[in-house]
Amino acid sequence: MKFLIAIGSKEYSGPTLKLGMRVARAFGADVTIAYVGEKISSFSTSEVLMAQENLDNWEVNRRGVDVLEWAYEILKDQKYIEVENLDEGIGENSLVQTDDDRCEVFLKGTQSDEVKLILRNGEIISQLRGEVSRSEIDVTIIGGSQKRRMAHNLIQYIDSSIFVVNKYDLNQKYKILIAVDDSPNTRKAVKYGTRVSQSFNVPVEMITVSKKDEFGDGYTSAANWAKKFLRRSNISFGHQFLVGEPAQVIYEVAGDNHIIVMGSSTQNPLLKFFKGSKPLNVMETCKCPILIVK
Amino acid sequence: MPLLSNKVITEVLYWVTRKKWLILAFALSIILFYVPSPEGLTPEGHRTLIIAVTALILIVGEVISLPAVGILILVMEVLLGLDTSDGVASSFMNDAVFFIMGSLMLAVAFVKQGWDSRIALGIIRLTGNKTRNIVFGFTAISALLSSFIGEHTVAALMLPLAMTLIRNTSKDHERVRELAAVLLFSIAYGSLIGSIGTPSGGGRNAILITYLQLFDVSISYIGWMKMVYPLVLLQIPILTILILTSFKPEYKQLDTGVRKLVVEVAKLGEMTGRATLAILIFLLVFAGWVFLSESLGLGTIALMGVFLYLVTGLVRWEDINRNTHWGVIILFGSTISLGSYIKSTGAALWLANHLISITGSEMDAFPIFTDAIIVVLTASLANILSSSATVAVLSPITLNMAADPLHVGMVTAIASSFGYFTAVAAPACTIVYSSGMIRAKDFLRAGWKVGLASTALLLIYANTYWLIFK
Repeated sequence: MKFLIAIGSKEYSGPTLKLGMRVARAFGADVTIAYVGEKISSFSTSEVLMAQENLDNWEVNRRGVDVLEWAYEILKDQKYIEVENLDEGIGENSLVQTDDDRCEVFLKGTQSDEVKLILRNGEIISQLRGEVSRSEIDVTIIGGSQKRRMAHNLIQYIDSSIFVVNKYDLNQKYKILIAVDDSPNTRKAVKYGTRVSQSFNVPVEMITVSKKDEFGDGYTSAANWAKKFLRRSNISFGHQFLVGEPAQVIYEVAGDNHIIVMGSSTQNPLLKFFKGSKPLNVMETCKCPILIVK
Repeated sequence: MPLLSNKVITEVLYWVTRKKWLILAFALSIILFYVPSPEGLTPEGHRTLIIAVTALILIVGEVISLPAVGILILVMEVLLGLDTSDGVASSFMNDAVFFIMGSLMLAVAFVKQGWDSRIALGIIRLTGNKTRNIVFGFTAISALLSSFIGEHTVAALMLPLAMTLIRNTSKDHERVRELAAVLLFSIAYGSLIGSIGTPSGGGRNAILITYLQLFDVSISYIGWMKMVYPLVLLQIPILTILILTSFKPEYKQLDTGVRKLVVEVAKLGEMTGRATLAILIFLLVFAGWVFLSESLGLGTIALMGVFLYLVTGLVRWEDINRNTHWGVIILFGSTISLGSYIKSTGAALWLANHLISITGSEMDAFPIFTDAIIVVLTASLANILSSSATVAVLSPITLNMAADPLHVGMVTAIASSFGYFTAVAAPACTIVYSSGMIRAKDFLRAGWKVGLASTALLLIYANTYWLIFK
């Protein structure tokens, strides 16, 4: 499996990186850590590249390299990568320019074959789409954002599962909350939630939410399948059938001490664009980490 | 079975949301095409302005690449019947485009020579360790150099010096935030104020010279310097003061930073024969610009310089090819072509007359009023587009706004360098912003003061000192 972790700054991306690496370890996944810098004005791209090459000659880090070095130090401390010389950093010479707006460094992972550090410039959704497509990413991990329509754009346009690390507290013990319904991606969500639970060694809570006071065959069979899967995986769990607006109910149950896992919506993208979807509503409402599985 | 898969619908949706300004631009151009031509505007002028509006929306929205906009301009000129394909092609390439191409390539050649280290030593020897003196030194050197080799070249050369000083003072960015601002803005703004000092300081200058020739006005290299260079020199100390009052550097002395910089530069050794040869070639190019530009053209001389750098092996073609923005050259050529049709179809005169009629008799009574309108219009556009594109599109209009094309043309060119307000206004600003050491709002913090001072200075200067050239 391949994970992409998008980091923005040293000040705010610590929880995203640490939780992201922990989850990636649970899956034994290859990891790409990407810093996406601001878009360079189209009038000046060559001039800025030329200036950055000149900076390299003076051994001055270009923008974003310090963030990658910070990420490197965390990977080294948490022993996610193999390092021959403990004092060495990624170094300017390790950065390889692959495109006008992309540089990368390859590292040897301890839990997987490779860990890549990537430096990109441009609009974040466009850059993440490019990286997901280029590297065939299965899960994209990103921190919470106040930007308008960010949640919508992530779910709508990124062709991988999305894990948004909202307000993650490193000192808090989290539980896993899996939202089970009759959507096609629910089973995959249950499997992902199980892996995360095994890695974190925490129990699972499952809920099935309906707006109406009745639960159809689709909902009950999905719930039964999920319970059977968790039993076979030796995970302790609880399950509830709840009535209400799904996003609101999930928000109330999750609070701020759960990691929510749910399947993505498979309805027509045009409908999703105009009307939204359950996962989007949950993402916009809840204030805790949430994994939308595609 | 659905007609289109979810994946295809998602891709289409993504394209539509990303390209909404493209759809808007085309929709608007179709609507404008069917609107009757306003009174006094020829049908060809009407169609030219449609192309201009479409191109402006696409450039500002950044929805398609700049070369694509340039190509669209050329295609629309043919499709809307402004000229034949051969006619459009010949309007695209001229000495101004040669100059833009040549100066971008020369920039690569200059940066590869390692002159930045010599410049660093020179500045430090003159200014010493005091921060305010170093800021003055950076401003002055950036201004003086950019007037000959262009603002983006100077910014690329000077950026490592500033970054090295900052890094050698403190590795904690938060502790040197204001220091970084004064040093980087002295480079960016210094490069901007100097870039109008000579015709070779920027593509916009060469574009203006091309347009002035359409009005039977010519100006020599030295003639340009006589008109403009005193303004450059006046602005250097004023700019320094404004930068130092906008930001309060954390360190008044940079002893440690300077000492380490001197040690780093000393490691590079004495100037080699290659570096000497590089300077000689540059001096030849400069001499060519001064003495031969009226007969041979600025662009031809710039290209001759590039040729010399290539055949002497001082720069490789691969480096030039990689670092020259060919797409921007296509766009500049297209905007120059568009500008020529704005003039030849009468659209420029129509727009100029409308601007004059809006403001009324004030413009006749107070010529400084005309200059003020031109400065505000040009500077506003230059902070959104590049200065060269602004001059290419606006000059045909402004040159019709007063009896003295040289006067208003120079005001337009100088005002187009007032790209102080945003990080994208000019390559020099984008380059320093790309360092990550300053924030977008820092440009407003210093920019409004510098902009106001530059505007006031230009208006007074143009209406007093330039009287001796009339």
